[in-house]
Amino acid sequence: MVAVKEKLAPFHILVLIYMTQTGVVILSLGQMLAQTFGINGWLALPFYGVIVTANLLLIGLVYRMGRGKSIFDIMERRLPLLLLSPLYLLLTMVWSMLACLVSMEYVLIFQMIAFPTTNPVWFKIVIDLLAYSLFIKGIYTISKASTVFFYLTVWMYLFSSMLFHEYSWNRLTPFFFQEGDFALPGMSGIYAAFLGYELVMLLFGYVDRSAKLMKLAIWANLLVFVSYIYVSMLVFGFFGFGELREMQYPLIDMFAYVKFPFIERIENLLYGLLLFTMLATMAMYYWSANEASGRLFPKLKPSYRGIALIAGTFFVGLIPDTLAEVNEWLTWFGIVEIGIAFGLPLFLIALLLIRKEKEAPVHA
Amino acid sequence: MRNARWRRLPLPLLLIAAFALGGCGDQRILERIGFIQSTSYDLMPNGELKIAVAIPRLEAESNEKREVLSTTAPTSKQARIKMSRETSLQLVSGQLRVTLLGRSFAEAGIGNQLDTQIRDPAISPLMKIAVVNGDAEQLLNQRYSQHPRTDRYIERILEKEAGTHAIPKATLHQFVRDYYDDGIDPVAPMIRKAGKNIVIDGIALFRDDRFVYRLPPQDAMIFAFMRSRFKQGEIGINLQHQGAPREAVMVTSLVSQRSVKVSGSGPGTTVTVRVALDGTVLEYVGGLKLGKPKDLRKLERKIEAYVSGQAEAMMKNMQRAGADGIGIGAYVRNSMSYADWKRTNWRELYSQIDVRCKVKMTIKNVGKMK
Repeated sequence: MVAVKEKLAPFHILVLIYMTQTGVVILSLGQMLAQTFGINGWLALPFYGVIVTANLLLIGLVYRMGRGKSIFDIMERRLPLLLLSPLYLLLTMVWSMLACLVSMEYVLIFQMIAFPTTNPVWFKIVIDLLAYSLFIKGIYTISKASTVFFYLTVWMYLFSSMLFHEYSWNRLTPFFFQEGDFALPGMSGIYAAFLGYELVMLLFGYVDRSAKLMKLAIWANLLVFVSYIYVSMLVFGFFGFGELREMQYPLIDMFAYVKFPFIERIENLLYGLLLFTMLATMAMYYWSANEASGRLFPKLKPSYRGIALIAGTFFVGLIPDTLAEVNEWLTWFGIVEIGIAFGLPLFLIALLLIRKEKEAPVHA
Repeated sequence: MRNARWRRLPLPLLLIAAFALGGCGDQRILERIGFIQSTSYDLMPNGELKIAVAIPRLEAESNEKREVLSTTAPTSKQARIKMSRETSLQLVSGQLRVTLLGRSFAEAGIGNQLDTQIRDPAISPLMKIAVVNGDAEQLLNQRYSQHPRTDRYIERILEKEAGTHAIPKATLHQFVRDYYDDGIDPVAPMIRKAGKNIVIDGIALFRDDRFVYRLPPQDAMIFAFMRSRFKQGEIGINLQHQGAPREAVMVTSLVSQRSVKVSGSGPGTTVTVRVALDGTVLEYVGGLKLGKPKDLRKLERKIEAYVSGQAEAMMKNMQRAGADGIGIGAYVRNSMSYADWKRTNWRELYSQIDVRCKVKMTIKNVGKMK
């Protein structure tokens, strides 16, 4: 596993970050926007885009000040491991739990649609095995797989053109942000739809410095932003605010409306393919957790740590067993992750201010 | 080498096992499943629902091409459990194409039923909704010997007529969407039994989830002009005035464009619906010569006067019934500020506003003859 010396190509980085960011949340994004921001809630997305970009610039500062070195190296050269271990433990826990919950949510929606009485644990095991065999191969393989997943899923946007005839600008209304509840869980839930970009911090050691990592991350986020705006605008004009507020997964219902002469109920296909975007997100979070745990237990083989992570989160993931509970857990872990996305770079900048990174590797 | 290969084996094996075992859960064996294709709802005098489902039968050994079950129960899902006791098939609603609402049921309000159907992930949002002028179960239960199997007959007639805009398309999605929208009310086609056939019987207009007004079939095309723009349609117009000689025209290949303008405010609100029609005249009986451009202009003016007159009269009726199937409310809403709209009692205002219809007819050609 240590032999990963291949560097990531710019396009692969772009796709990797994009795929990590998009996930199951896209299914309910329109509803969350309607409930939180009210009429024409999709217009709130640019604010999110700006905040994420600001966060990325912050991470970019770490990248520049740390001269592209791994964030773990930056921390360990300045603080003793003992002091850092609670932080590493937290990162490992949050990242692996997020991976687990994202897949749990996917499984529960899948179960609702297709196999209402089958025990979801079966699906969870299969998906965990898939994710394990992917993330254990390291970042280079994850990024290559993500590129394949990207091509497998990106054409679905084309389907949306078949829904234009049911779209009405009238339904958008000229009102803005009325009747929203502006509740914190909703707001953070929408932010969670963008999460995944913060893992770019862990790519520091793996990319060529000429690859302009941060620029690519900002572009990837822009891509996510554009796709979210497009999808949300579409559901607002397709369903109207009144209905959207009452729905759970507007995107599934919207795609259920696509019909070909030879096939109906295409949403089942769509949902099957969403597995790939979810898998990319999941693999990246598990991989990140594995990286962090590697600093805690450097003696342990990465594959054993990976098994421990999957198994550990698997059993914790069994505690919330309804969709509503999983959503609640996701909200809380999402909030912690937002804290990490902002807090960790700030912490690193503080460390880097105390002692600057030199161009040549320093042996402390 | 061999060792490595052995070590790799368990994972694929586990995956295969997991997939295979996963299939043992929710089994679906085609021959044992009853795909409900149509369902009907009627309200009984005692307040219970009378529900019927039609299922196509595929086995060779059965003579019947379909199975119709009906029962009464307080809710539709309870009815399904009851009906399930009468059949050898496992009832599923993934192939549900048409829901028929009996008039009695539609008049009492169908909100709860809509909620059940939209909640069920198995039911397609493309499912069609139609109101039956009479008893829906009887219409569904009968065999119409000169037509295809009843459920398919109903589905095809609805699809074909919606294709020429003689009736509005009413899918579950469209119905529910308009139900939740505060600027428009849902509509659905209306059908009834006519001897050996089923016949389109106009358009059912709803106020919220309640059927309140039936638009007669001859107004259906006018309704389509007012509701949205479309291509493909035809209208037969009787231009004869009392005492005058016979005059009638038939316009086909209609292309209709619509724009809506709102002016004024409060009870003085005026809504102007402009309709631009393009079409071909293939039949005309009367005193004008179709070959003469001057006469053709005259005919255009006559059609315009007829359509706008009918449209305004139709609007008056709809306003009286309090059903905004056209979606005038959305335009009025969009012309206001949010606070004004929330202050407005739209139901009340709707009955007071002045809706005008201006029509521009262009006859593109008159067929092969002069």
